[in-house]
This record gives sequence, structure tokens and C-alpha cells, in this order.
Amino acid sequence: MDKNKEVWDEILGEIELEVSRANFLTLFKRTALLSSQDGVLTIAAPSIMIIDLLQRRFFDIIKKSVDKHVGEGTEIIFVPKTSPAEELRASGPLFETSEKTEAIVGHLPRVRPDFTFANLAVSSTNQLAYVSATTVAKKPGVTYNPLFIYGPTGVGKTHLMQAIANEVYQKNADRKIIYITSEEFTNEVVDAIRTNSTAQMKRRFRNTDLLIIDDIQFVAGKEKVQEELFHTFNILVDNGSQIVLSSDRPPAEIKKVEKRLMSRFSGGLTVDIEAPDFELRTAILLIKAKKYGFNLSMEVAKTIAEKEQDARSLEGALLRIMTEAEAKGVLIDSSLAQTVLEGKSAKKTYHPDDIINNVCAYYKIKPTQIKSQKRDASLVRARQIAMYVLKKDLDLTYVEIGNMLGGRDHTTVMHGVEKVEKMIETNGLGQEILGIKNYDSGKLADY
Amino acid sequence: MIVTLLTDNLRAKLSFLNHAVSPNSQLEILSNFFLKASKGKLTVSATDLEIGLSSSVPANVEEEGETTVPAKTFFDLINNITEEKITLKTKGTNLELTGKKIKMLFQTMPPEEFPKLYEEKGEEAAVLKKELLLKDFNKVVFSASADSSRPALSGVLVRKEKEGFLIVATDGYRLSLKKNVAFETKKETGIESLLLPARVIRELLSIKQDEDIRLNVSEKSNQAVFTQGETVLVGRLIEAEYPNYEKIIPTGFDTKTGFDREEMHKAVKICSVFARETANIVKLSLKKDKIVVSANTPSVGEDTVEVEAKTTGEENEIAFNGKYLLDFLSNTEEEEVVFEMSGPLNAGVFKLSGDDSFLHLIMPIRVQG
Repeated sequence: MDKNKEVWDEILGEIELEVSRANFLTLFKRTALLSSQDGVLTIAAPSIMIIDLLQRRFFDIIKKSVDKHVGEGTEIIFVPKTSPAEELRASGPLFETSEKTEAIVGHLPRVRPDFTFANLAVSSTNQLAYVSATTVAKKPGVTYNPLFIYGPTGVGKTHLMQAIANEVYQKNADRKIIYITSEEFTNEVVDAIRTNSTAQMKRRFRNTDLLIIDDIQFVAGKEKVQEELFHTFNILVDNGSQIVLSSDRPPAEIKKVEKRLMSRFSGGLTVDIEAPDFELRTAILLIKAKKYGFNLSMEVAKTIAEKEQDARSLEGALLRIMTEAEAKGVLIDSSLAQTVLEGKSAKKTYHPDDIINNVCAYYKIKPTQIKSQKRDASLVRARQIAMYVLKKDLDLTYVEIGNMLGGRDHTTVMHGVEKVEKMIETNGLGQEILGIKNYDSGKLADY
Repeated sequence: MIVTLLTDNLRAKLSFLNHAVSPNSQLEILSNFFLKASKGKLTVSATDLEIGLSSSVPANVEEEGETTVPAKTFFDLINNITEEKITLKTKGTNLELTGKKIKMLFQTMPPEEFPKLYEEKGEEAAVLKKELLLKDFNKVVFSASADSSRPALSGVLVRKEKEGFLIVATDGYRLSLKKNVAFETKKETGIESLLLPARVIRELLSIKQDEDIRLNVSEKSNQAVFTQGETVLVGRLIEAEYPNYEKIIPTGFDTKTGFDREEMHKAVKICSVFARETANIVKLSLKKDKIVVSANTPSVGEDTVEVEAKTTGEENEIAFNGKYLLDFLSNTEEEEVVFEMSGPLNAGVFKLSGDDSFLHLIMPIRVQG
């Protein structure tokens, strides 16, 4: 297979020199060599129309090149077939989730079923916390009790704690598990006192196998709540039930907490999670993308991870890019990611001349031509695309763009931009524009 | 070539033939119509190498011949002239169009450069009724993917079943399925399973003619040729393997509800305005006697619209991409819609009241809280 591709690439390389760029892109680009045996070369092309043109108008050129590379007198056959490279792509989330969702049998209140150890990205910044959490989940109440996890916002504390809950629940659905934030805990205590049902509340909390309290720092200064927590704590530890707590700071730094409760907090294992490093951010993106059914490439993930430092904003950035790709009907690549993310922050990263040069290089025209007063169809099209990219990427004014492209009126520029927008909607020009943005302007040197 | 014909006839054909022209193709010949005059008719063809369209109009042919004409210019002119009758005549490399009061000269390209639309039509596989095509395919085609880099999903699957045919389209986020589609097929050449590009079906629906449509399939050319009266539409068959849609159709549900399609359509439209900046997320809360449709954008605001509904089973919540909901609600015409779901993470199922042959699936969006 690879051998065929090699041979065909060589032949195409030679043909490219002989035919016009337009012909090469539309007719030859999507052909492939299917097989080459017994002096017969079978070539795949996407449609009968293309085959007809190849056979009637370019047969001599193809034949010449084939003779040279494969051997004189080789027979050439065309078959209508999409080239194999075009096939085989993921089918989308509708087809992936069906098995996954079957695995989850019901789930805990307040706990997200997708927060599991399996889709938690681990790196040096959260390695210790991860290991302790998995240990606790394996043997609740036995090893580290309580487990106290602290770290700044958006590093995955909640994910880790809910993963413990999910893991314990998966193994034994009969276990009594409570996941609660300290604010909710406070509310329950207050409610119980108000409705005179403290006994019921006590029974609920003191009868669990696993109690997880998120953001425990908020109990600071609430005496009655702390007292309730203290007693619950003692009973649970005595019963061998597991307690997991989280906070944005280490226990010693939580102010206005009674000494006796404080000592209970740090009586087990205290671990911290640091802000995620670049590698972890990349891994998080890949996991999140998979959750949404997108096949995010490593390259794009890196681009996003470089731009977004905060773990929580990663998902937002990813969503924006996915929405944009869907709206424009293009594939996600790093240039799209760049465009979307830069749209949020600073826009001006390219120099306008770079863009003009890129467009020129792509269409094989000279920058002086694009700025000239000539109105050949091919020049006009390239010029309008340049206008569009300058407007959308750099957000220059119509007047500025007009000046840059040979002193054109701003209404001409507005018309050009609108026209390209329309073409993107109707003709999938978006791909071509992405191609232009990625185009290696170094090729300009040939001219 | 010298032909005389009625402008109105030509105008009617160009309105859809125009769809196959690729005005911005790098290959100039593809921005042209191919004209051929022979045996009392003028045949006009256009192709963008993906699909090909051709149709003919009755004409008084004085001299047979072929030529090409720039499609956009020709189309615009024919649409604007008021002359009842026109004459087309080749003059060297030009084409001259004359009427009572007008005279135009077009630059042409050598007709040999224009690709042939098909080698052979292939075996006749089925006959389709136009109104049936409109009714059944309209409900399905919109679910196909516009992304041609996933070939299988950009197509509509037509598969023979015990009773009639089944058509399916999906883009991986939603799926439409219609059973019991009545095609007339010939026994010996009947089709088992075909994957047709959604675009070909869309073009087929846009041909404004009412005759029955004949479908020919040529395995050798890997082509499907639709013939309706004197109009021919050519598209290639997609070879990719279609995903296993059967396994993702839910068998049970926790909650079932029924509502008026129009009312829901309006509600989702309203909520879509607020959902614009949050990936189009529109939430449905299923209550006993109503569905609360809601959307919010933190920086803009939020809204809720209530839709009357009859719900059985547990109350539930689910969120969808509003665009998908609108696509479904606007491509069906039935009054009552039934919706079934089990959990906010499983695909939601839309059915048409009293019709077991159709269903539409949409993958929900996970939302927190």
C-alpha cells in the first residue's frame, strides 16, 4: 500500500509540473494508486466526470510519467472510487456513548457520574493526591482517615472526591455514601434546629460509610455547625467510616475553627494539589474532548493549553472552538484554535503584509498584482479573500484594508468581504481559507 | 448550432441546473453550461465533478451542434430578459443570442473540455413517486453530515426491508430513520442497500417537476442516475461502511411526553436567542402537564417558555443543541410529537404521534447543575 503511494506521489509530482495548478488541484489531487501488477496500473478517482476529463485530456501526460516510473507499455485503468485515505473517521458521540452509558447503573445524588478516576488526568502536580484518593477508594476507612485534600480553585479537588464516591459506589451499591458541600451541611444543621428534627439529621450523617464534605473552609466561624461536625466526626471514625474533606488552604490556615476540630482535620493524611502544568492541561483537554465525542489532535490540544492557564477555562475554550468549527462547518485544527482563542484576547499577531503574501503565494500571484488596478477574475477573487482575512483576523477598518490593497474604496472592500462570507456559506470556501492561513509563505521565494 | 426556443422553458430549467455549477471552481470549464442541440431539443448540462445535472427543452433546431456558455452570465440574462422567444447561434468561438429587440454575444470554451456526466446509466433499480420523496426524505436528509471528510455520514442510507425500504441519515449527533418507504423495484435488479450523498437527494428534491423518478444504479461506474422526465441527475455512490445505527436506538424509556409541534417550535426558537452564545444549549424540563423550555447566557440573560404537554413516567431534564431541535421541528409537518427519554445522558427519541415508521434521535448535551 505504502509502496503504491510512493510511486503515485512521484508520478503526481511530475504531473504537477506539466498541468495548470487549477487542473492539478481539482482533478489529480484526489486520485490514488490502488494497485500495480502485471503491467496494469489501477487508479482511483472520485467520480466518473473526473475520470472522463483525465482520460480525454490528460492521458498523454499521465502515460508519459507512468512509462517513466513504472515501465514502458504499462496499461492504465481508472476506477471510480474514493481514495482510501478519505475513509475511516469516527462516527460521533451518538455511536460511542451507547456502551458507556450502559455501564453506569444509576448514580449518586449530587455526584457527577462522569467524574471518575478513569477520566482524571494525572501528572506530577496531583500525583500524590491521586494515589491517596485511589487508596482510600479501595479500602475506605482503613488507611488514611480523614483524607484532607487542599489546593487552589479549578485543580480537580471535586473531581477527585467524586471519583472516590463513584468508585466505592461501583464496587458496592449498598454502601451509604454522602457527598455534600460544607454550605449544604450548614443548611441542614440549621434546618434541623429550626424544624426540631436534629435527631433525624444526626442519624443520617452518623450512619454513613463514606462522608465527603467539599470546601470545608466555609464552616469557619459557625460554632453550632462545628460542634455538630466534631461529634459526627468522632462517631464516624470510631465506626471505621471514611471521611474525605477538601479546602482551598491547609487545615492550619483555616481561621476561626475550634482547636479540637482542627486537630481532627489533620489527624489523617493531608495532601495538596498544585495548579496544573502544561502537560497536565494538554491531557485534560484530550480527555474533555473525548467526552464531547471530538477527536482532538495533540497539536491543537497543545495550542489551547499554551493559551489557557487556568484549568477551569480549558473546557470553556474547548467548547468555543467546537462551536465555532460546527458553525463554520470546518475541521478543528490549530489555526482555528488560534483564531478563536485570539478572538478573545489580543487579535493582532500577524502583520497584514504576511496575510497578503500568504494569499498571493497560495494563488501564485505577485503582491504587486493584488495591489494593481487589474480586474482579472483570478486576481479579484484572491483580492477579495485577502480583504476577508484582513477584516476577520486583524479586524482592520475597511478604509485601512482598501489602502493596503492598492488604494481601493472602502465600499469595494465591504462588498468583497460580504462576497467571501457568502461563498463560505455556499461553497465551503472555509477550507480553502484555512489552507491559505496555513500556507507556507516561504514558497514565495520561488517568485 | 442554431436553435430557437421559448425563454420561459429554458428559465425554468436553469433555476435548478444552476445548482450543479461551481462558480468559483479553479477549473474554468466548470463555470460553464454545456449546450447541445439535436433532434428538436436543446440539452443543457452542468457539473461540479461531484454531481451532474442535465435537462432539455423543446426547441426548433435548424443546425445541430454543441457549445458552452458562462453559466452565471447566461443564467442572469435569461432571468432578466422579457423576450418570449430567443435564438441561439454559434459564431466561431462565440455564441450569439438574439431576440426581437436584443442581441448578445457570449465567449465560449471548447465543448470537448466539458466532462461527460455518465458513461452508462446502469440498471434500473427503482421508481419513486415525487410526493412520497418530498414527504419521507425531507424528514431524514437534514440529519446527514455536511462534512464530506466523513463520507459515510454525509450520505443517506437506503436499505431494503421485509416491507418497503428504510432510509436513515445521521451526522453522529442526531439521526433520522423512516421505515416503510414505498419504492417500486424490479425484482431481478432490485437494490439491497445504497448509500447516496445527501446533497444528491437535496438536489433531487429541488427539481421542480412532478413526474415519477427513475433510479438507475451502475455498480461499474459507482454511480446513481436519477431521471425525472427529461431531467437527469448524476451522483456517485458512497462506498464507506455505514455505522451500526440499530444498536443505538433506545429500546425503553423512563419518561414519555407528547406536545404540539408548532408550539414547541416557537418555544425553542425563542430560547435559541438566549442560547446563541452558550453553544446553543436549550434545556427541556419535563413536568407532569408541561415542558419548560429554557436557555441562559450568563452575560446576557435567560428565558423560559412553557409548552403544554402530557407526561407519563418520572419528571426529567435534558439539554440539547437548539439548532438540532429546530431542524427536526421544522422538517416535519405532523401536528403532534412524542418524546421519550431515559436519563439526561442518553439520546432523546422523537416520534410522530400515531406513526411507528419514523423516529429521530438527538444526543443530549451534558450540563452541570
